[in-house]
Amino acid sequence: MTTTAGALADQLRHLLGPDRLLEGDLARNLYSHDGSIVGGDCGIVALPETTDEVAACMRMAHEAGVDVVPRGSGTGLTGGAVPLEGGLVISLARMREMGEVDVANSCMWVQPGVLNLDVSMAIAHLGLHYAPDPSSQQACSIGGNVGTNAGGPHCLAYGVTVQHVLGVEMVRPDGEVVILGGVAPDPPGYDLRGVVVGAEGTVGIVTRVLLRLTPLPPDVRTMLLDFLSVSDASAVVQAIIAAGVIPAALEMMDRNMTMAVEEFVHAGLPTDAAALLLVEVDGTAAEVGTATEVVERVARGHGVRTVRVAQDEEERALLWKARKTAFGAVARVKPSYYLHDCVVPRTRLVEVMEAIGEITEREGVMCLNVFHAGDGNLHPIIALDRSDPDETERAMRAGDQIVRACVAMGGTLSGEHGIGVEKRDYMPLVFDHDDLEAQACVRRAFDPDGRMNPDKVLPTGTRCGEVGLADTQVPEGTWI
Amino acid sequence: MDLRPAGRDELTGMLRAATADRRMLDIRGGGLHSRRGWPFTPDDVLHTGALAGVVDYEPDDMTITVEGGVTVGEVLRLAGERGQGWPQAPSAPAATVGGVLAAAAGGRRRLRFGPIRDSLLEVVVATGDGRIVKGGGRTVKSVTGYDLPRLLTGSLGTLGVIVQATLRLWPLPMAEQWFSARGEPAGMLEMARGLLADLHRPTAVIVGPGSLHACITGVPDDVVAPAGMVESPEPSGPGPGGDGPAGAHGGVVEIGVPPATLPAVARRLADDGRAFEAWMGTGICRAAVSAPDDVRVMRELAMLHDGHAQVIDGDDALRSDPFGPVPAGADIMRRIRASFDPAGILCPGRFAAAEAVPA
Ligand SMILES: Cc1cc2nc3c(=O)[nH]c(=O)nc-3n(C[C@H](O)[C@H](O)[C@H](O)COP(=O)(O)OP(=O)(O)OC[C@H]3O[C@@H](n4cnc5c(N)ncnc54)[C@H](O)[C@@H]3O)c2cc1C
Repeated sequence: MTTTAGALADQLRHLLGPDRLLEGDLARNLYSHDGSIVGGDCGIVALPETTDEVAACMRMAHEAGVDVVPRGSGTGLTGGAVPLEGGLVISLARMREMGEVDVANSCMWVQPGVLNLDVSMAIAHLGLHYAPDPSSQQACSIGGNVGTNAGGPHCLAYGVTVQHVLGVEMVRPDGEVVILGGVAPDPPGYDLRGVVVGAEGTVGIVTRVLLRLTPLPPDVRTMLLDFLSVSDASAVVQAIIAAGVIPAALEMMDRNMTMAVEEFVHAGLPTDAAALLLVEVDGTAAEVGTATEVVERVARGHGVRTVRVAQDEEERALLWKARKTAFGAVARVKPSYYLHDCVVPRTRLVEVMEAIGEITEREGVMCLNVFHAGDGNLHPIIALDRSDPDETERAMRAGDQIVRACVAMGGTLSGEHGIGVEKRDYMPLVFDHDDLEAQACVRRAFDPDGRMNPDKVLPTGTRCGEVGLADTQVPEGTWI
Repeated sequence: MDLRPAGRDELTGMLRAATADRRMLDIRGGGLHSRRGWPFTPDDVLHTGALAGVVDYEPDDMTITVEGGVTVGEVLRLAGERGQGWPQAPSAPAATVGGVLAAAAGGRRRLRFGPIRDSLLEVVVATGDGRIVKGGGRTVKSVTGYDLPRLLTGSLGTLGVIVQATLRLWPLPMAEQWFSARGEPAGMLEMARGLLADLHRPTAVIVGPGSLHACITGVPDDVVAPAGMVESPEPSGPGPGGDGPAGAHGGVVEIGVPPATLPAVARRLADDGRAFEAWMGTGICRAAVSAPDDVRVMRELAMLHDGHAQVIDGDDALRSDPFGPVPAGADIMRRIRASFDPAGILCPGRFAAAEAVPA
């Protein structure tokens, strides 16, 4: 540890006490990982409990010139919360308070360490829920969701995190606390709130989040459709939406995935089907009735084998459990997995599924697919044993080819997991030099010293050129 | 001078020249939202109307990519032919896509369909110094990089000229109808409260002085007249009753308050005998103003409820304090602007502080 780092540790220990500053090898090893296969190098870990403590930590890091990596629950899949070269990890996991529900305005402030699912559980009795529902919702934090602009099955109809965050309280890299956005819509000036959501911890630390709460739908129906070909299932996804129905959720699972899940959850999934679609429609009773008819009609026109409609809440919960534990079920196949979450235009689904099949077969790796089909957001999960270097190499190669295939089909790198370290060096596939430089400038506007979660999101070497007018050149009386 | 670039290259050339010569530009699309922000006198006005190409429309993906000068009406027409719509759009067919995005001027269906920023997937801008910068992605979902589309939405021409936008479209609803009622403000507000409580996801509930308009979208069985209301056309017209300019002598202030306080704001406006249009449930209210003092009154009213008020249309006199207090993070905004427009030639001074005196 360098002297500055040592002095910073002393200050932080003084501020937080020895229990809330982790310096031991075990902790440092733990905090060098997240849900991805990226490994890093963790310096020290601070566990503040209030905004003031976060601000104090940030001021100290600022004065010491030490890099800061914000961390929520560490379920991220791109290495976003992984420190690469020491520095200070600030974990928000202990900031778990929820404010009062503002029923009249359908919103609520929560601290960033609150777990996603806990929000919906806490407000269900008011007939409300928090719509973004990542499959990891039992474990991931609201702060992490804000960091990654998380999605989930129900984001097809309801929209992703940024559409459900009205405002954020953020500690800036120098320790100043700002509130961006709020209950009153569209405050004057640029939408900085919109930039903070999805910035992957590179612009500041979010210490409170104003969540928009959504009424529970009056009626809902969940259906499981099974197909003998992946192409038929993909075509149905396209056809349902083309028929004018945007389901609340529209998820696909291929046979490999179905087998792994069924063994785990025993939901009565047909393991001989090539692909399953989990379709949920919600709204008024009349809307649900009409949408159900459309879904069934379209499916029958494309060779669906069976349509199973969840008969009660219990069966519905079971089907969703099957979907949401899918990543976990992969552990029954291989100890580890590697995945990308590219998005392709919905019209290219059939084609991309074929391409993924060919690529993984050619590389001789096992791929399990479970994904948000309705918005074309893929999750080809390559199961692997990382103690096998050859298999790991092949998995990486397959992943690389999948990303390139998606981009070639007009797709993009990530639909919800973010860029982190994992996809950072793919950014030039979708953005040119000027695009990346502009992004670097936006980032620098928030973090002039470049100490927030460095080496994430933008490829190494991307800089904000020295363009820029000094503050004094702004016409007098203007604020931008 | 009026500049009318016919294409991207010509546009970036003009911007580079303006940057080199320090010539101040105003950017104009349909001109419907030009009377916003602090008044300034540009050297040249750059018109985007000739950037009017439809780049790509893939109905099955429900996305459309158009140049910034394409009109809202054109997008709605093309989409409508394929049974699709742009429900976040304002009801101002002559406005350009670039203009409504730059002004964040969404339409009256916001309660159900959300703000206009949620419909912008990818944006391409020409920066003040003539670079072409793209942000976002054309797929319906993307977290690839920093959210430039949201940053550009509402930037009022100060970050760049929107040369191209990819919009998310929606299927046209199976049924949709506007309804209206007339009566005392208190009664209208009470009816509005009832609609918000009873209807699942109403599309619009709009209270004006002595009137109530509501829009219901969905399947035919659900689209029935609420008690006491009759079918009526979509409200339109200038000023607070519409999206267009307020006319030579008037202006419009847009108030944003916590949605639950909007009834109180509307009551006050009604008592004061003002023309207004309150978008119940969203916290947004447009009110007619005719003197700078009116703007101050509106702002005080908004701030009383933890909100804000901006002049969205008005002559120079009305815009002597268009935004009110300097927002949090102004230094961040300033640095962002500096990097997009290093010479500060794009609508300089449009975002101005409350306390400053115009030069
Ligand atoms: C089994 C499984 C299923 C998943 N399913 C989904 C899914 O359906 N949809 C989806 O979107 N994701 C999914 N994920 C990915 C992951 O859960 C999400 O990315 C989640 O949002 C991360 O939350 P976290 O609290 O774990 O954040 P972390 O992993 O700790 O951090 C994520 C990023 O956010 C930043 N960050 C964290 N907290 C803050 C803060 N307070 N302020 C600023 N920045 C912060 C970090 O620096 C990092 O860049 C899944 C992951 C797993 C393991």
